[in-house]
Amino acid sequence: MGWHWREWATDPEQLRRLKLLACVPLFAGLNRHQLGKLLIKLFEKRYPAGETIFREGDPGKAVFIVLDGRISIIRAADGAEKPLAVLGPGTYFGELALIDDQPRFAAARADEDTTLLILYKSHFDDLIEGQKALAVHVMENLLKTLAGYVRNEQARNALRGSKGQVTLAEPAAAERTRR
Amino acid sequence: MSPEAAAAPDQPRTRWFPPPPTIVWAIAIAIVAAIAYIASDVVVLVIFSAALAYVISPLVRRLEAAAIRHNLAVSGVYIAIFLLFTITAALVLPRLRTEIVTLSSGTFKQQIDQSVDKLHRELIEEYPALEQVLGDPESRNERLSTVFQQQTANLPNLLSHAVEIAIVIVLIPVFSFFFLRDSRRLLQLLMDRLPADEIETSVAVWCEIERITGRYLRGLALEAMAIATIASTGLWLLGVNYPLFLGVFSGMANVIPYVGPFLSGTVVAMIAMIQFQSFAPLVKVMLLYLLIKFCDLTIIQTLTVGRSVHLHPILLVGSLLIGGHAFGLIGMVVVVPIVTALQEVTRLLLEHRRRKAGIRTPRRAPSTPIQNCVC
Repeated sequence: MGWHWREWATDPEQLRRLKLLACVPLFAGLNRHQLGKLLIKLFEKRYPAGETIFREGDPGKAVFIVLDGRISIIRAADGAEKPLAVLGPGTYFGELALIDDQPRFAAARADEDTTLLILYKSHFDDLIEGQKALAVHVMENLLKTLAGYVRNEQARNALRGSKGQVTLAEPAAAERTRR
Repeated sequence: MSPEAAAAPDQPRTRWFPPPPTIVWAIAIAIVAAIAYIASDVVVLVIFSAALAYVISPLVRRLEAAAIRHNLAVSGVYIAIFLLFTITAALVLPRLRTEIVTLSSGTFKQQIDQSVDKLHRELIEEYPALEQVLGDPESRNERLSTVFQQQTANLPNLLSHAVEIAIVIVLIPVFSFFFLRDSRRLLQLLMDRLPADEIETSVAVWCEIERITGRYLRGLALEAMAIATIASTGLWLLGVNYPLFLGVFSGMANVIPYVGPFLSGTVVAMIAMIQFQSFAPLVKVMLLYLLIKFCDLTIIQTLTVGRSVHLHPILLVGSLLIGGHAFGLIGMVVVVPIVTALQEVTRLLLEHRRRKAGIRTPRRAPSTPIQNCVC
């Protein structure tokens, strides 16, 4: 069996993350080189089960990608917690923070011991300054996600309207984003 | 009931109130500043090593982006830099050494005497009234010799520090290697210790510090190299002696805002006047340095993006004076990114505090309204 320098020189953990990033819809269309550039901007943080990642109303400054574990997106309604989504590895949430730092619409909590990759807006801004193609891809993916929300809301409003209720659209529930 | 518990109500209760966080922070900063001032040599060494690590870090990250192991990437970059440095030193150092030896030899002093004599005569012929101010050549030469002796008296002391300088030259790359190798691990350790609700602001602050200092220092290094190259070429074209040494000096001096370019321009102009024994090259050198400054402001700084610091001029000059007084030349170089980073950190923390104060204010709609009908 020969000696494979590539196996010796490369970090298997980084390769696993690269593969995971390639499957994240927010980064769809990025080539290996761009994903690599993105990867070195990510922070990793482990959250024990039950820990809050962010609360409703916190200023959004980062998008989170689930590397391992499970995350619940919850929103307080009538004094109770209403679960909006449960996210597993390869999913992401909090992506609106890449656009502005408006307060979070919902809270995120680790259901089990979870590892997240975190992309901060400051790092993303820094990255896209010299990487226009990367910025275009990510923003395009983000726009597609937002368009999906708006269509969902329109459909929901149309249904409510047909029942004689007139309602305004809720703010986009970006924290519910998932694959 | 225990006797202590029974006696407790009769004794006046003293409650300890913890000091406000601002006072704790102020005390902590004062202690750190005092330690930094007392152990300034070590602090300068650490700052220089960290700065070198910052300058090198993009190369390591480039390799990491290709999923190369972190330790291998750091070691590879250091080996490559060492080889490059050795090759450059082998090519450039002999020439640089010859120029420095010639500059410090007695012949240069004789050249100075002859040049000053000639310039003195030229001035008096042109403006006879200056004779009273400048005095006769003998007394002027005596004054100059005294100044020269005073300035060179400290040279033996400087040479006795050669061992220390050599140790520093070895220690800086070693320190910076470990900085670069372990910085990510330390950062990860810090990330794991930070409370979850503080982490976003903490990392935003860290990103901002990294962005400002990294850009500034990398930009500064590139700018110094560009200025050194342009100045050396320009001086060589003008026929000024020691173009390589003076070019490198100009590049290094340029890192000090405001003072540096003026200092290097003056030194080069004086050397040119001594060499040509005339005031005529003064204009050429001034024009060359004005051209270099123009290129620096319009092209080099734009490309390096390193000098994009937004400090008020008074704050900038004040920082330079304090940095220079505390840590000398290195202090003047590093104080600008430090103060800029502090300014940005303060801004971010104030913003965080402001947001935290109004954190639970219900906001039912985002600032940008979403249209009800989107096609």
